[in-house]
Amino acid sequence: MGQGQSGQAGFPGQGPPGEKKDQSKEKKKWEPPPPPPRVGKKQRRAGQSSLGAKLPGITPNAKCKLRLLKLERIKDWLLMEEEFVSNQERLKPQEERNEEDRTKVDELRGSPMSVGSLEEIIDENHAIVSSLVGPEYYVNIMSFVDKTQLEPGCSILLHNKVLSVVGILQDEADPMVSVMKVEKAPLESYADVGGLEQQVQEIKEAVELPLTHPELYEDIGIKPPKGVILYGEPGTGKTLLAKAVANSTSATFLRVVGSELIQKYLGDGPKLVRELFRVADDLAPSIVFIDEVDAIGAKRYESQSGGEREIQRTMLELLNQMDGFDARGDVKVIMATNRIESLDPALIRPGRIDRKIEFPLPDTKTKRRIFGIHTGRMTLGEDVNLEEFVLSKDELSGADIKAMCTEAGLLALRERRMRVTHTDFKKAKEKVLYKKKEGVPEGLYL
Amino acid sequence: MVEDKEQSEKAASERKIADNKKKKQKAEENKDADLSEEDLELKNNLLLMVTRLGEGEPGVQKLALQQVANEIRSATTSMTSVPKPLKFLRAHYQTLVNAYDKTSDEEVKRQLADVLSVLAITTAKEGERACLKYRLLGTKDAVASWGHEYIRSLSGEIGDEYHARREKEESVQDLLDLVAQIVPFHMTHNAEPEAVDLLLETEKLEWLVQHVDAKNYGRTCLYLTSCCAYLPEDDDSKVMQTAYQIYTKQKQYPDAMKVALMMNDQELVKKTFASCGDPLVQKQLGYLLARQGVALDLQEEESGMQSWVDNLDSELQSELQEIISNSKLSEMYLSLARDLDVMEPKLPDEVYKSHLVEGRQPAGPAVDSARQNLAATFVNAFVNAGFGQDKLVTASLDADGVSTDRVHWIFKNKDQGKTAATASLGLVTLWDVEGGLPQIDKFLYSKDNYVVAGALLAVGILNCGVQHENDPAYALLHDFVDKQDPVVRIGAIMGLGLAYAGTQKEEIADLLTQLVTDTDVTMEVSSFAAVALGLTFVGTCHAASVEAMLQGLMLRGETELADPFAKQLVLGLGLLFLGKQGAVEATVEVAKTLPEQISQYAQVVLQTLAYAGTGDVLQIQSLLAMCGEHTEVDENAAWKMAHQGPAALGIAVVAMSEELGTAMAHRALEHLLQYGEPPVRRAIPLALALLNVSSPTLGAMDALSRLSHDTDAEVAQNAVVALGLIGAGTNNARLAGMLRGLSSYYYKEPTLLFLVRVAQGLVHMGKGLLNLAPKHADGNLLSGQQLAGLLALLYSCFDVKGTLGGKHPYVLYYLAAAMRPRMLMTVDVEGKLLPVSVRVGQAIDTVAQAGRPKTITGFQTHTTPVLLSVGDRAELATNKYLPLTSVLEGVVIVKENPDYIETNE
Repeated sequence: MGQGQSGQAGFPGQGPPGEKKDQSKEKKKWEPPPPPPRVGKKQRRAGQSSLGAKLPGITPNAKCKLRLLKLERIKDWLLMEEEFVSNQERLKPQEERNEEDRTKVDELRGSPMSVGSLEEIIDENHAIVSSLVGPEYYVNIMSFVDKTQLEPGCSILLHNKVLSVVGILQDEADPMVSVMKVEKAPLESYADVGGLEQQVQEIKEAVELPLTHPELYEDIGIKPPKGVILYGEPGTGKTLLAKAVANSTSATFLRVVGSELIQKYLGDGPKLVRELFRVADDLAPSIVFIDEVDAIGAKRYESQSGGEREIQRTMLELLNQMDGFDARGDVKVIMATNRIESLDPALIRPGRIDRKIEFPLPDTKTKRRIFGIHTGRMTLGEDVNLEEFVLSKDELSGADIKAMCTEAGLLALRERRMRVTHTDFKKAKEKVLYKKKEGVPEGLYL
Repeated sequence: MVEDKEQSEKAASERKIADNKKKKQKAEENKDADLSEEDLELKNNLLLMVTRLGEGEPGVQKLALQQVANEIRSATTSMTSVPKPLKFLRAHYQTLVNAYDKTSDEEVKRQLADVLSVLAITTAKEGERACLKYRLLGTKDAVASWGHEYIRSLSGEIGDEYHARREKEESVQDLLDLVAQIVPFHMTHNAEPEAVDLLLETEKLEWLVQHVDAKNYGRTCLYLTSCCAYLPEDDDSKVMQTAYQIYTKQKQYPDAMKVALMMNDQELVKKTFASCGDPLVQKQLGYLLARQGVALDLQEEESGMQSWVDNLDSELQSELQEIISNSKLSEMYLSLARDLDVMEPKLPDEVYKSHLVEGRQPAGPAVDSARQNLAATFVNAFVNAGFGQDKLVTASLDADGVSTDRVHWIFKNKDQGKTAATASLGLVTLWDVEGGLPQIDKFLYSKDNYVVAGALLAVGILNCGVQHENDPAYALLHDFVDKQDPVVRIGAIMGLGLAYAGTQKEEIADLLTQLVTDTDVTMEVSSFAAVALGLTFVGTCHAASVEAMLQGLMLRGETELADPFAKQLVLGLGLLFLGKQGAVEATVEVAKTLPEQISQYAQVVLQTLAYAGTGDVLQIQSLLAMCGEHTEVDENAAWKMAHQGPAALGIAVVAMSEELGTAMAHRALEHLLQYGEPPVRRAIPLALALLNVSSPTLGAMDALSRLSHDTDAEVAQNAVVALGLIGAGTNNARLAGMLRGLSSYYYKEPTLLFLVRVAQGLVHMGKGLLNLAPKHADGNLLSGQQLAGLLALLYSCFDVKGTLGGKHPYVLYYLAAAMRPRMLMTVDVEGKLLPVSVRVGQAIDTVAQAGRPKTITGFQTHTTPVLLSVGDRAELATNKYLPLTSVLEGVVIVKENPDYIETNE
């Protein structure tokens, strides 16, 4: 951190003056002052202002010869660039010189460095800083610090004795957001989803294909959907499907639970949402998955408590991020809830959520498959007749079936058997269904 | 009976499966369990068909085949997965292949081949081209019935197969027959790009023309023309020819003319013009030609248009000639200015806006007042260009040029300052031959040679891009070319060059070639003559001029060739070959034999200019290699590195025509900036300027602003000029602010301050009504004349001390050749201005897009006349009128739409 700010990779023109200039120095009476740097607001992305950070976009998205030719042309250019740069590096190795510069900068910085925050920039070379405790100081800004990145309020590195600014600590993104990034793909794949063929297809069309084959949509002449909402009874596989999407895609997958977005302090929640989408945009193409969205997406109403209002504001930020002023390119949103009727209509209007995918309770065919999946790795007794459960009229969700299988297994374990029998299943079913129907309010598990 | 049979078949098939490994069987069964009932049924059904096919009884086989075919055809599924029948048949592909080999019945065999061909698109291995193989073996019936996915895959394989067979020199007739079937399908199903691709692969592009109709010609031609920039050298001309044929077939003459101009084929241009029967469209073509700077002379004897011209009535002919010769340009421009209410002349101070400058003001004794006046002259000239009135040079002219109360502005300058000031009269009265000449006339008889030179130059500038019937420029100027005083001579020569830029007037060649060859004439004069010749015969390979210049270069001694002006002579030579590609080779060979001081420089200049705007990657590669050289040279041998400057600029020259090249060239320049030696770094701002003429993009502005603070003064100087060029005629506020900052930053550097002032003038050029961009017609056409004007200035910047900042500040007037009003003006059939509402917005690339995609984004609706920036596009906002050309730029003739129905909305 902060190492990147030493500014040595900048333009040669701003680097140490060459020999030629030293000669002319004596002749010249007057020299222009150093160029005024841009101080004040930090620049968003440093690389953007340079001439060619990005490769140009290629316009016909459809697969055709023109696209091929254009891509080939870009490849040619890149090969030439590579050839040129590698030749130059061979002729004039920069590595060593950079290394030298770096050690020099490190010497100047000293060690250890203390961390402070920038209060105010006075002029190009001076600033007022404060360390976390104690008074404020008027100090120098070292010349090798990238001044375009300085902005009041940012954290900086200070020299341990003279307290001059020697570097910038960049807070790339809220650590809360970086936690949301799914680094390791979940193990569940589409193969683990029993049934739900329709749903899988819909989510693929809405979320995956626009990121991998945008040309298909262009061919037809439609804009791909921005987001989908998965809704349905508890335990019907909404989260499972989202996991399968994360498993199969190579896009960045960010997952949040609605309740995570509720923060203690005013304004923190909306800020987190903003950060979340900013990170998603930076890492595009990406998929944002918001589980249990009803935590923040409930209908708005006149509320007295500050907490509720804060939650509503968080939702408003979410509304804006999903279809607001700034266009989100390759960011797709998946939401999951089991209470779609309680969501704010603005949240699920077309344009924000273009597809609403229902997850119904499984029908017999699907039930059979779910049983198949869950009993696949169990040692079953000869007498087990799963058809009986499949064909029964009870309303079983995917999760219920899973619970049944687990319960049956547990019962078998209790009796120290290595095989699960039909009676185990029967008992398990009774248990599960009993818990579901009796006693407690609906929708709660004990 | 039947059931029995079925069962036995089933059993047989099961046995077959049983033969396979047990594991596999298990997997298979598991898979079956996953399937829904209908799927299972389908699967078993297909299995049955497959086994029946294997049995070998023709009748049964036929029936089974038909059923399989039906299943495949009727299968609909989402784009996310493979159709189900194909999925299930996958496993039996090999069985079917075996069955095919066994079958003897010809008809069954052919039908089976059809099915196999379809199956092969998902099943066969890559590179096998099984799809095509079975297609060729199958029935020759409609390919289309199997759906477009099939056709697409087939097309791909045809391309591969064609190349493979071509290498082995085998017959390709059967493939071509297939192509002939596929192309009409593509053309009628909105897949024009695919049809073009297929025909390109099989080298049968000429077939395209017959399939094009009024509905799809637009998309087809758009695709063709945008492909052409990226195709190898032979293919691209073929593509262009095809596009031209289609356009003429569809009677879209303005588009056809555009293609003809893109090909830079003079004969074709004339042919297009002659073949177009509608006088209105002809007028529209005339406007296009005038914009491109093609001076077509309708009276000319040997033009091959004589018979056609004879048929024209004289009135139309003179009207057309008037349009082509740009005679009304001044009038139109002024009416645009009146419409936008910017007629009021502006003073340089109103451009500097010094009151907004923070920090030090350029004032006091440090300021060089001569330089300041010179700067004011240029700023005044650029800002009031073409308006015919200003507050410095024309204002105090009332009393016969001798103002009573104070000294005339011209005489407040010294030496070349006077020349520049007098010449600025020409720029102020640009294009207005009748109004401007009388004002200049009196200075032609001045006793001061500098003033005379300026007046001569003014005459030239005034006539730039306009051909008057009386040809006043030549009549006035040609006597002065032979005068002894070099100042007067240069004025006259440069004037001639500008006045006849792009006209190929033979008299100019007669007059100027002797100056180039004569070694008694100073290098300075010769070089100006060479550039003037280059401007006049830009991109024509004019033999006499080439010969003269080469001779001039060979006859000069080494010391003279080391002179900076020798380089301008080379530039003149290069301009003759602008965009001519291969035609330059012989001259490059000659350039190799020149003395070493100039030889390499000449080669680079010739090569880069000849490949200007082609995007040729090989050229770029060699240029990059040249820019990467590092040689240690002492002071006296600076010429060893001199070629690096044009090489770096050359990258921009070669890459400038298409968007990809432009974007990638920016990246390359960034690398050059990091690694290059000083000569390369000095050329980078110029290259950037050329890539972004009149389009101040943020990236370019930032980079140039950084470079304008560079420690190397020459880099800074060039960067400042470049800033002016990228903002030329845009009135860009950000750029103006940047330049104001620079003016206070460089308040003590007279040369840099002068250049900053000039740049400020350029940004406000024509009060924002003009620009310098050589690309027009949606960025498809590159005007050689304009490019030549720009290049003449940019090359002068290699030696700022000797030209701009020294004895020849008036080289800035080369820009007159590149100035064009950036307007869209609509006229009715009579030629009168007709205000029409148009939408103006950022252009979008719509090549190969489905449906009727919108062509502009972020548009605003205006009433013509309106201003168009670089990268803007316009479309009519009403159905009431129909434009006669597809590209709304410059002057457009609109006629009333006969189908228009007035609505109250």
